[in-house]
This record gives sequence, C-alpha cells and structure tokens, in this order.
Amino acid sequence: MSQGALDRNTFEAIEAYVLDRMDTDERTVFEQRMAMEPALREEVDLERENIRAVELGGVTRMLNEIAQEEGTKSAGLSGSGWGTYLKYAAVIAVIATGAIWWFTRVPLNERLFAEHYAADPGLPVEMGVADDPLFADAMVAFKLGDNSEARSKWSPLLKAEPNNDTLRYYIACASLGMNDALSAIPLFEGVANDPASAFRDKSKWYLFLAYIKQGELEKAKALSLDDDPAYRERVRAIKAELE
Amino acid sequence: MLHTALPVEVTAIDIHPQPSWLAGLRRNDPATVRTLYTKHFPLVRQYVLKNSGTGSDAQDMFQEAMTVLWLSVKEGRLVPDADPGGFLYRVAKNKWLDVVRSAAHKHMKVVHDDRALDPATDVPDDIEERIVRLRGVYDKLDDKCRAVLDQFYFERKDLATIAAGMGVEEESIRTIKYRCMMKLRAFRKSISGEDQNEA
Repeated sequence: MSQGALDRNTFEAIEAYVLDRMDTDERTVFEQRMAMEPALREEVDLERENIRAVELGGVTRMLNEIAQEEGTKSAGLSGSGWGTYLKYAAVIAVIATGAIWWFTRVPLNERLFAEHYAADPGLPVEMGVADDPLFADAMVAFKLGDNSEARSKWSPLLKAEPNNDTLRYYIACASLGMNDALSAIPLFEGVANDPASAFRDKSKWYLFLAYIKQGELEKAKALSLDDDPAYRERVRAIKAELE
Repeated sequence: MLHTALPVEVTAIDIHPQPSWLAGLRRNDPATVRTLYTKHFPLVRQYVLKNSGTGSDAQDMFQEAMTVLWLSVKEGRLVPDADPGGFLYRVAKNKWLDVVRSAAHKHMKVVHDDRALDPATDVPDDIEERIVRLRGVYDKLDDKCRAVLDQFYFERKDLATIAAGMGVEEESIRTIKYRCMMKLRAFRKSISGEDQNEA
C-alpha cells in the first residue's frame, strides 16, 4: 500500500478515522486492522499530517483576515471596490462640510489653535534606554495618541519627582492633547521659565497655543517668542490675526 | 511539563472539562480565534512597539504565536491549565527578540531579554519546525484544491454544502477532494523516498 495508489474507499475510511467520524464499532475494527497492518498505520499518519497541513492553511487565512479587519477598523474604513470609493467620497464630503461649518462657526481662538496645533512627536523609546519602564510605557501610549493613559501613568512619577521638567512637559503635552488646556498651562509655565530645561522653547510654544485655546488672549499676546527661529513667524502671524 | 502524546486529534474522551477557548480552537471556531486575537493582541503590540518594532511587526509576531498555540492545542501538547494570554505573549516576545537579534537588526540594542527568567517554556520544542514542514505541504496545493479542502477539513462543511456553494455536484467535490489529497500524498511519498535514498 505504501508506495502504490491508495484506493478511494481506504482513503475515506482513514479520513473518517482521523476526523473522528466513525462509530465505536467501526473504530474498534479499524484499530484492530491498524494493529496488524503497519502499512495502514503509515497511511493514517500520512493522511493525518496532510489534513493538518490543510487546517494550518485555513488558520493562517483566518488570522490574515482578522488582522486585515482589525487594521481596517482602526483605519476607520472598510470594504472594497466601488464601495470603498463611495465611502472615501462620503468621508471627504463630511470632512468638507465639517470644515466649512468649522471655519464659519468656530470662535477665532479655537480656529487658530486647531490650525496651528500639532502634537509633540514624543521621545524615542528604544531598547537600551528604557531605564524607567513606567516612563517608557507611558511614552508608548503617548506616541499612540492615548493621552489619557499616558497622563495617568506619568502623574504618579511626577509626584515622586516634582521638579522633573521632562515629566512636567510631557504631562502638559498629554493634557493639551486631551483639550485640557487649563491643566496644561501651569506645567508649561513652569518649564518655559526654567532656563536650564531642554524643553523650554517647545514649552513656550505650546503655552502660547494653550493660552489661545483657553481664550487667555492677553497672556498669549504678552508671550514673546521673537528669539525663537522655529516658532517666531507663526507666533507673529497668529498675533496679527488676533489683532 | 509537556504532554508527550503522539500528535493525534484530542477527542471527547478527555476526563477534565476543558475551557471554551480550548474546545473552540480544537474545532477551528472563528469566534474563538477572533476573541483570542482581540483580547491578547494589544499587549503584544505594546511590547513590540516599545522595543523598536512597528504595528506590522507586532501583527506578524502575534499571528505566528497564534499559530503555535493553535497547533499545540490541536495536537494535545499544551501544558494543563495553560493561560492562552501568557502563552501568546511569551511566544511573540521570544520571536521578536529573535528578530531583533538577527543580522538585519544588529544595530538595535537589547536589554530586556529576560527569557532566562521566564518560567520553564511551555512551547513544544519542535513545533516551529513542524509548522514550516506543514506549510511546505500546503504550498503544493493549487487554488482549486485549497478552496475545496479548506472548506471540508478546516471549516468542517459537508460535501453537499460545499457543492452547493461552488455550483457543482456533490460527487464532483468528493472526487476533487480525493485527487487533491492524493497529490499531497504523492508529494509526501516522494520526499520520504528521497530521504530513504539519501540514508
């Protein structure tokens, strides 16, 4: 049997055994045959392996489909062909309508904030620098846009190190990212007034934006970033619009 | 401690009641696979992202880990009371550490290689080699064979349902299934013949 052809009846009997589709009597008889026929045992092992290979192909396909769906879900779009194009068109139409409404209805300070605000990209989290895994965990959340989780993980660390300018700056960034300018402002003010901080210039920029968002326009106007080549032109343009 | 039983389908003769995820994986249940995926992928993604990987890397690692879990369950080689989340995390983590240590990633620094601190690994030693071998067998099938065999052996549909879905006679599906499986058999026989000749 082993090197020649395998007839269909034997193949299907083996299949029924491997897939556990034999009743007790059939199974007993088949197992007695296997005990006496090494070639049959060999065929059973081979067919079981081949069925397993097919199942593995199926599980791989299923996992790819789930991964694709999960990815599509997170992108906020799904479907294919014309359905996809129509969905894109619908999304663009909604955004366009929303933009028109936004620019005609939203107060000036909110509009200026929305135009100029871009989240800080965060610090790289690499192997070898994760001396503080709690800080690194929060940074991963921050980089993924989960400001709430980042802030809740960083806040206890700031209690232990209240003068840590890195923590103050990134907690303020996370707060601003959550539209909580009120909480962000005192933290940005502290870092912006710390001449030794590496985050001083960026803090001044985000403080300026936080004042704008909060409607504290006089404080925003009083804040000078004229010495900062990265932000001064944008600050002047915003101040001009506020006038 | 590993189960050292031969790789056979585990059936209803088990004495202890099995968790639903275990029973679901044994019958290739899509809902079980999806639940395990959505429940346990986020932790793996977080680990890979934190260790210089991308979202795509995380998906690759997790899918490989799911495959290892599935095969271990199918063949009754999982430790008793195994926690699927812990299993998936350990396998995915070790796979990612292997990737970052490969030649293409030698510039990356690895500090959190705590495999030595992990509890005794519950992953059967030869399982990955076995997955590669089984994939090699599946690669020999053409699309038509895959479509029929996948529905019959993986989705466990009956011949009549497959035939209705494909718009053919039930007997045709039965014949296609037999011929496709004979192709795999011939392929396996040729490999074992080569192995014997080499020996």
